[in-house]
Amino acid sequence: MKMSLKTLFSAACLGLCAGALAPEAALAHGEKALEPFVRMRTIQWYDVAWSKAKLNVNEEVVITGKFHVNADWPRGVAQPDATYLNVSAPGPVFIRTERYLNGQSSVSSSALKLGGDYEFKIVMKARIPGRFHLHPFVNLHDAGSVVGPGQWMEVEGDASAFTNQIKTLDGSLIDMETYGLANGVAWHGFWIALGSAWLLWWVRRPLFIPRYKMLHAGQDASLISPLDRKIGAAIIFAVPMIVLGANFVTDLRYPNAIPLQAAMDQIDPLPPAVDVGAVQVKIQRAEYNVPARAMIMTALLHNGSDHPVRVGEFSTANVRFLNPSVIQPPQGEGAALAAREGLSIDAADPIAPGETRTIRITAEDSLWQRERLDGLIRDADTRMGGLLFLYDNAGRRYVSSVSAPVIPKFY
Amino acid sequence: MTGKSLDIPARPYTGEKARLSRAYDYLILVLALFLFIGAFHLHVALTVGDWDFWQDWKDRQWWPLITPLMMITFPAAVQAVLWPNFRLPLGATLCISCLLIGTWITRFFAYHMWNFFPINEVLPATMLPSALVLDAILMLSNSLTVTSIFGGMAFALLFYPTNWPIFGMFHVPVEYGGAQLTVADLFGFQYIRAGTPEYLRIIERGTLRTYGQYATPLSAFCSALLCTLMYPLWWYLGKAFATTKYVENI
Repeated sequence: MKMSLKTLFSAACLGLCAGALAPEAALAHGEKALEPFVRMRTIQWYDVAWSKAKLNVNEEVVITGKFHVNADWPRGVAQPDATYLNVSAPGPVFIRTERYLNGQSSVSSSALKLGGDYEFKIVMKARIPGRFHLHPFVNLHDAGSVVGPGQWMEVEGDASAFTNQIKTLDGSLIDMETYGLANGVAWHGFWIALGSAWLLWWVRRPLFIPRYKMLHAGQDASLISPLDRKIGAAIIFAVPMIVLGANFVTDLRYPNAIPLQAAMDQIDPLPPAVDVGAVQVKIQRAEYNVPARAMIMTALLHNGSDHPVRVGEFSTANVRFLNPSVIQPPQGEGAALAAREGLSIDAADPIAPGETRTIRITAEDSLWQRERLDGLIRDADTRMGGLLFLYDNAGRRYVSSVSAPVIPKFY
Repeated sequence: MTGKSLDIPARPYTGEKARLSRAYDYLILVLALFLFIGAFHLHVALTVGDWDFWQDWKDRQWWPLITPLMMITFPAAVQAVLWPNFRLPLGATLCISCLLIGTWITRFFAYHMWNFFPINEVLPATMLPSALVLDAILMLSNSLTVTSIFGGMAFALLFYPTNWPIFGMFHVPVEYGGAQLTVADLFGFQYIRAGTPEYLRIIERGTLRTYGQYATPLSAFCSALLCTLMYPLWWYLGKAFATTKYVENI
């Protein structure tokens, strides 16, 4: 028994060491971590695209896309008064050189309007070679990060070849990779040298036991010599002089220095792109069938357009449920989050112009579970949300933002 | 400088006893080094945190208020042990040096090598001049009250001018994306940090607006006042949680 316990313990230790020495790369960015109702009913991403997937150091990739800010914003999530369109990556393996929101250049945070539609463009310049997963995402103050679709990027080349030069308003051209480093290291080195000298001044002599004994024997006066006192006085005088002198010189050298900037950008929404046009959708009931992993929505559709329309896609939290008879499945990485035949309608015939019809839309796929969206039924807010895409014969697209309370069906 | 004035104080031990006593010194010093590198660095990372991590957090209001206030803690506690018991006026310098060792190791290996941030974006602040003055005031005054008032104030007031020669150049303005930013702000925009969006920065917030653009001296004096209170608090914490009973038994 003793032997087996020892063997077990040794095996556990070996396993632990082997695990520590051969770590697996973490490939996720927590995109499934946020509660489902937040992912489904806050920022609704669509049409996200990358200009390329392979590039060299110093080359740029452009991420474009759109998002709709759901008007049925969860009550438990802070209003989007301070948000930041960001990119998740394993550190600054890319740098962000440009960012546009609704065509407006933006470098700071901004507020988003409920029900607003936004188009974005982010330009990223490759800095470190490797294979990295990039997502656009929106940081919501007091709520978390709502992550958009991701894409693997292959970066080749030499990291030392990366350049990032910026012209300051006083006309200097600076290299962001090295700017101020030598100066900072020199100042740290200077103060560390002075501090080390002070420490060595004391450490060179016998320390704890003799000094303790002498102090308690009433000989403490001899523990601090006159020279120690002179050096102490010199420190009190010279150190502030050096500090204030260097501060004065810095002020002279950088007369145009300004405080850190804390302004927010003001971005207006685009003319509405979602819930406009002639097609209106209202979800009357939504049920989530747990064993079938299917969301069944009963929707009242009114087609006010001049063309018959058909439901082509339901998209929520980056998962796309597609009606194969209407749209082609995506290729490449986007296919992983697309249920190619995941969307079915109880009546296949198009909704005629002027017609109002109640239809049953079923979004069924294991992606509900894999993307941890099935947990919605156990959330504190069990309303679902998403975008419904309808198409007419000419390929025109009508987008509706839908939401409704969800009733689970356990059998 | 005479030979006499350089004399090391009289030693109660000679021979083997002196050798063993010296070995004990080194043992304690090495242990203290690792203890303070770990503990003080953790304390600063948890309290000062982003203000010390990133260029674009080092503002003129909160950074000079928070940093000295949180960094005077360990120096006060360690001085409370080393000065009354051993007459060693090096507690503050030792703590801040250990902090800088830990900080530079982290900034280089964790932030630069592991997470790819350029080191100039994560340059740490230094408080060594403040620590030297704090130690010197304690040595010359031999008084907790005087050190609390004058040492605590000097510790805080020296912080911003000490670091301005390092960080001032990062406040040069640039035009970027149609806005005026500092070079420090630009680091925050370009070198992406997924978990720390720009709006989370606690910078330039508060009610100092009625004092024009002189927020820094006001923050520094506020910090100085608080440091005069923080210093004795941590002095007594150091005194309460440290013991010299093992030295007494030798």
